[in-house]
Amino acid sequence: MSTRVDTFAYDDAIVRKFLWATFIWGLVGFLVGLLIALQLANPVFNFGLEFLSFGRLRPLHTNAVIFAFAGNAIFTGIYYSTQRLLKARMFSDGLSNFHFWGWQAIIVAAALTLPLGFTQAKEYAELEWPIDLAIAVVWVAFAINFVGTMVKRRERHIYVAIWFYIASIVTVAVLHIFNNLSVPAGPLKSYSLYAGVQDAFMQWWYGHNAVAFFLTTPFLGLMYYFMPKAAERPVFSYKLSILHFWTIVFLYIWAGPHHLHYTALPDWASTLGMLFSVMLWMPSWGGMINGLLTLRGAWNKVAEEPVLKFFVVAVTAYGMSTFEGPMLSVKSVNSLAHYTDWIIAHVHTGALGWNGFLTFGMIYWLAPRLFQAPLFSKKLAEVHFWIATFGILLYVASIYSAGITQGLMWRAFDETGRLAYPDFVETVMKLMPMYWVRVAGGSLYILGMLIFGYNILKTWMARPATYEVPLVTAAPLGAHAPEPHAAPAGGLVASFTSVKWHRRWEGAPVFFMVMVVVAVVVASLAEIIPTFLIKSNVPTIASVKPYTPLELAGRDIYIKEGCFNCHSQMVRPLRHETERWGEYSKPGEFVYDHPFLWGSRRIGPDLARLGGKYPDLWHVRHMEDPRSVVQRSIMPPYAHLQRKALDFDQIQSRVDAMVMLGVPYGDAVTNAPAMAREQAQAIAAGIESQGGPAGLADREIVALVAYLQRLGRDVRQLPATASAAPAAAVAPGGGK
Amino acid sequence: MKLVDVMSAAGLSIYAIVALVLFMTAFVAIVIRTFAPSQASQHEYDARLPLSDDDQAPAQAGRGVTRG
Ligand code: HEC
Repeated sequence: MSTRVDTFAYDDAIVRKFLWATFIWGLVGFLVGLLIALQLANPVFNFGLEFLSFGRLRPLHTNAVIFAFAGNAIFTGIYYSTQRLLKARMFSDGLSNFHFWGWQAIIVAAALTLPLGFTQAKEYAELEWPIDLAIAVVWVAFAINFVGTMVKRRERHIYVAIWFYIASIVTVAVLHIFNNLSVPAGPLKSYSLYAGVQDAFMQWWYGHNAVAFFLTTPFLGLMYYFMPKAAERPVFSYKLSILHFWTIVFLYIWAGPHHLHYTALPDWASTLGMLFSVMLWMPSWGGMINGLLTLRGAWNKVAEEPVLKFFVVAVTAYGMSTFEGPMLSVKSVNSLAHYTDWIIAHVHTGALGWNGFLTFGMIYWLAPRLFQAPLFSKKLAEVHFWIATFGILLYVASIYSAGITQGLMWRAFDETGRLAYPDFVETVMKLMPMYWVRVAGGSLYILGMLIFGYNILKTWMARPATYEVPLVTAAPLGAHAPEPHAAPAGGLVASFTSVKWHRRWEGAPVFFMVMVVVAVVVASLAEIIPTFLIKSNVPTIASVKPYTPLELAGRDIYIKEGCFNCHSQMVRPLRHETERWGEYSKPGEFVYDHPFLWGSRRIGPDLARLGGKYPDLWHVRHMEDPRSVVQRSIMPPYAHLQRKALDFDQIQSRVDAMVMLGVPYGDAVTNAPAMAREQAQAIAAGIESQGGPAGLADREIVALVAYLQRLGRDVRQLPATASAAPAAAVAPGGGK
Repeated sequence: MKLVDVMSAAGLSIYAIVALVLFMTAFVAIVIRTFAPSQASQHEYDARLPLSDDDQAPAQAGRGVTRG
């Protein structure tokens, strides 16, 4: 059989673009992280500016490092390795460039909208609906480009790294679409389709799997490609890598509920989440061992090759965090760790160690090949390695101890059976020294990043005037002998079988994708459907009513300011919690909460039972300048809420969107602004009579106070706030 | 009538269990296939795929990287 041979070139220009984007956004994301770390150590770093306050910047940090830094790093590695593994140039240069520029435009849009307070209030899914649509479009373009490359590939066999890429591409699309389903209530405002428990369930199904399919599987693909490359030997066990792949695809999806232990989530769901999380430990360690053993017989190279050093730490960090993850999903451990900095430490082992170091190692390996010049300085890479490793250690050690310290303080009782630290702020102050150590650790990591940038820049400057574009030759699939061990002898029968063979092999990726989708979707549905569909899972509480139009506007301000980044609204059924905050939270309380605002971290106190705890005036003063009321508070000031006019007319469209979601709004359907004005006037009058500033009736602060005073009222059957009985029903001293 | 009413009337919870069983079966099948001896030669070949192209880094002056 005669063999046709194609000559072609890989597209490395696109890889270079993604490489630079990785560095630039990484630096931005890390610097924002440093700023918010400083804000927690000392609130002056909020600079009294609403755009720079913690609640607005924290999502910018997480989005920047996940989708901008890690995202571009993934694309760098995928575009480089896919072309070579499949022996084909990317399907379409146009799509590659559309993907690149589209993704960068999305990042810029995120960097603008998040500080301005446009957010869906769901972690790592904060971006508002128009940007979500853009993400979907760009992702689909990427997927088409990727599948197209697979179809025109010249290597019949599909290496395991590609499997990991496929699973990531497919699953991220599914996750993104389902978690972001929402009803728009304006150009940059929407309400989640789901409410309360369902929304929480959806969100953490997404949140957990975003970690799995954005920060784990694609990076595992990169590991399985670049580790063997750098070590110049194949992966230790290919079987193990296949097993690693399928176990992760099959198990990860189920583990999401471990983010919601002891919350108002049904018990069976959280037990399921725990079991699957514990099972995940095995394949993860299988993968780690597989990665490390790839270096067998090459350990001498590790000593002299910074690339391998970065890989070793990356894979070890993967092992650490995938051991810790299952541990944290065990309910008893979780009851201590949840809402504390322990989770932050866990995440940073993964992000700084696994994602960061794998990226650095990969880029140090790629840079000389892409820029066609030797790496400027191996020594500097070595310095980067040690500085960054030390930075991670400082960060993680300090934040672990912060988490455990605070967790233990929250649950401590004294010998008389009362809370040992009833004053929440005391448990925050204890963390200050550790917060400063974190700042130091983070700074070191950033210093390393700068050294890295300098090194890469210098390498780039030594590039040739024009890049050489090496030509590659390979036979197209159709020209291959069908299978090495089944070479046809010629004739009709043989050509028939050969056709059948490559048909089958070309169909394989499609079949494979379908399999992954099925695995992911089936698991998701099996888990999610019951919460949605079996009514008894969310018993309704008769006294729980929708928010008034003004409270709804206040809730939107709470969302806009990102208060949920510091405050939970979820009292767990644990003795120290009910002692500290009051009655534990029930699923039925949240049926009108689009989106849910349970929060995941208590930098400030839980607010689920806040309504009636303080008089309105207290809130006005506290929001204006927290430290004038609570001396050592680290909460940012929100003075602008007293200056900014509340947009009453907008409230109608918000209520309308809620009505579309099935919230029974009664009169407010036609009359929302007037109702809101009336309630605002009553609250403002009350504030004035308590001796506060006059003329707040049309300011944002009134709406926020209305919302804060509503929290937890319905279940406790407290007398209604100004909402029902206008004349300053909120007596000073409130419910406590 | 809301979606919730329709769906809770449909008695779908059995499907979740069926799905779980199918799921585990598929998974076990994949594991068995992975470890089947007939796959060994293919795995051998596949494992070498990343190393099959030549992308040598430009050598640093003085201490070129050698490759076998
Ligand atoms: C940087 C994290 C942070 C952010 C963001 C934040 N807070 Fe706080 N908040 C705290 C801390 C810490 C405390 C405890 C000290 C105090 O009372 O000021 C607190 C206390 C409170 C309290 C008093 C709770 C009680 O029971 O005593 C309220 C109410 C409150 N915050 C509301 C808000 C609102 C509303 C927002 C958003 C506009 C917000 N916070 C944003 C950290 C934060």
